[in-house]
Amino acid sequence: MIPLPDQSLRNLSQRLMVSLLPEFGSEYAVSDAASLGLLMNALADELAEGIQRRLVDIEEMKVILARCVTLEEERAMLAADITSYTMASVNDRHDELTRLLIAWHEKSEVEDLPEVNKAIWRYLHGHAERHAIAAVP
Amino acid sequence: MISLQEVRQAAEKFLGDRWQCPVQVTDIRKIFGGASRETYRLEVSVDGESRGLILRRDPPSSLIDTERELEFGAYARIFPTDIPVPEPLFLENDTTVMQQPFSIMAAIDNCLTDVAGLAAEQRDRLGREKYAILGRLAAKDPLALGFAELMPVPRLEDCAAEQLAYWESVIIDDEIHPQPIARAALRWLKQHMPPPAQKLSVVHGDYRTGNFLFNTDAQITGILDWEMCHLGNPLEDLAWSMDPLWRGDETELAGKLLADSEAIKTWEQASGLTCDAQAFRWWRIFVAVKAVAIWISSSEDFENGQGKDTILALAGWVMTDRQNRILLTYLNGDK
Repeated sequence: MIPLPDQSLRNLSQRLMVSLLPEFGSEYAVSDAASLGLLMNALADELAEGIQRRLVDIEEMKVILARCVTLEEERAMLAADITSYTMASVNDRHDELTRLLIAWHEKSEVEDLPEVNKAIWRYLHGHAERHAIAAVP
Repeated sequence: MISLQEVRQAAEKFLGDRWQCPVQVTDIRKIFGGASRETYRLEVSVDGESRGLILRRDPPSSLIDTERELEFGAYARIFPTDIPVPEPLFLENDTTVMQQPFSIMAAIDNCLTDVAGLAAEQRDRLGREKYAILGRLAAKDPLALGFAELMPVPRLEDCAAEQLAYWESVIIDDEIHPQPIARAALRWLKQHMPPPAQKLSVVHGDYRTGNFLFNTDAQITGILDWEMCHLGNPLEDLAWSMDPLWRGDETELAGKLLADSEAIKTWEQASGLTCDAQAFRWWRIFVAVKAVAIWISSSEDFENGQGKDTILALAGWVMTDRQNRILLTYLNGDK
C-alpha cells in the first residue's frame, strides 16, 4: 500500500533528478530524465489536487449555467450527480458541462447577454489559475 | 524503436552508397528537444576527413505532423540565399534503410541555441540580426525561389482564413477535452479577420529563439526547423517570434532578446513592409491559437500511445496551460 501517492511520486522524482540523473552518460538522457522528473512533480500535484480542482470547476459552471439553460434536457443534465469520484468520471462530468458552457459562451456573444458573458470569462480566469502548473518552471 | 548502433550502421551504409566511398561514423549522439523528428548529431570520417552531419529521422509520432519533403525542399530553396540555413544533403523516403524516412544535413559547428548566458549587448545584437533575417525572408519573392513547386500558393486575401481553418481543424480533431478558451479565441478571430497580406512571403512557421544557431560572436549561423514552412502573410512569423511563451521571465524582450518596438522596427527596415498594429493584434492571437493546436495535438499523440517521447507530454500539458493563460490575457483586453 502507498498511503501518500503524491508524496511518493515527488520522492521518486527527487530520486530520479538528484541521484540518478547525474550518473547518466548522454545529454539526451539527462534532458529526457529532467523532463520526466518535472512531469512527475506536476503529476504529484494533480494526484493531490486534481479531482478537487475539477469539482470546484463543476460547481462554478453549474451556478453559471443554472441561470442560462431553459431546455428540459439541459436542466436534467445540470441536475445530474457525478456517478463516482474516479478521475475518469469526474473528467466526463467536467467535459459535459464545459461543452454546454462553450455553447452558452457563444450564445452570449451572439445574443448580447453581457452578464452571462462576463460570468463565463470570470470562470475561465479562475479555472486557468486553479489549473496552472506550478511544478514546472 | 531504433538503437543508436542501428542508426550508426544504417548511416554508414547509406552515406557510403551515396558518396561511393567508405564512410565511418566516429561519433553519434541523439539530440533532445522540441523538434518534430528524432535528431542525431553524427561525426563521420570520409576519405580520412572528418565531417559533421545532422540526421533527422521521422518518429512514429511527432509534435507536428509535417511533410518531410516540404521541410527538405524549403532548406534546398533557402540555402542559396542570404538566409543562413544548414546545407541539405540527402532525403531518403525508403523505410527499409532506417525503418522510417530521414534526411541528412551538414552540421554547423561551434554553435549555441540557448541565449540564457548572453550579456545584454550580445542579446541586443543577436535580436537585431534575428529580426533583420526575418525581414529579409519576408521581402523575398517565394515564387522566384521555386516554392510554388513545393506547396500551395494562397491568394493574399486568403492567407489568414486558410491558416485559421487549418489550425481550427487540428483543435477539433485532436482535443481530448473541450477547450473553452481556444474556442472563444477562434470565434474572436473569425469575427475580426485581418486585411489581406501586404505581400506573399515564405513563412518559416516556427521562427523563435531556440530555433536558430549562433556563434560566440552572437552571429546567427543557421535558421533551423522549417517543417511548418508555408506561403502566407509575413506578419505570422513576426507574431509567432514575439509570443509570450518564448520570453520566459523576460517578459519585455521578444524572444528574450529585444524590446518589441525595436524588433518590429528592425523587421520593417529589413522587409520594407509595415507592421499594421490592428492586423498584428489578429496575428498575435492567431499564433497563440496555432500553438494551442500544436500542444493539443502532441498531447493527443501521447495519450493515445502513438508517441511516447517525453517532449510530447511536456508540450501537451505544460504548454497548453501556459498558452491558455496567454490567450486569456489577450482576449480579456477586449472585455
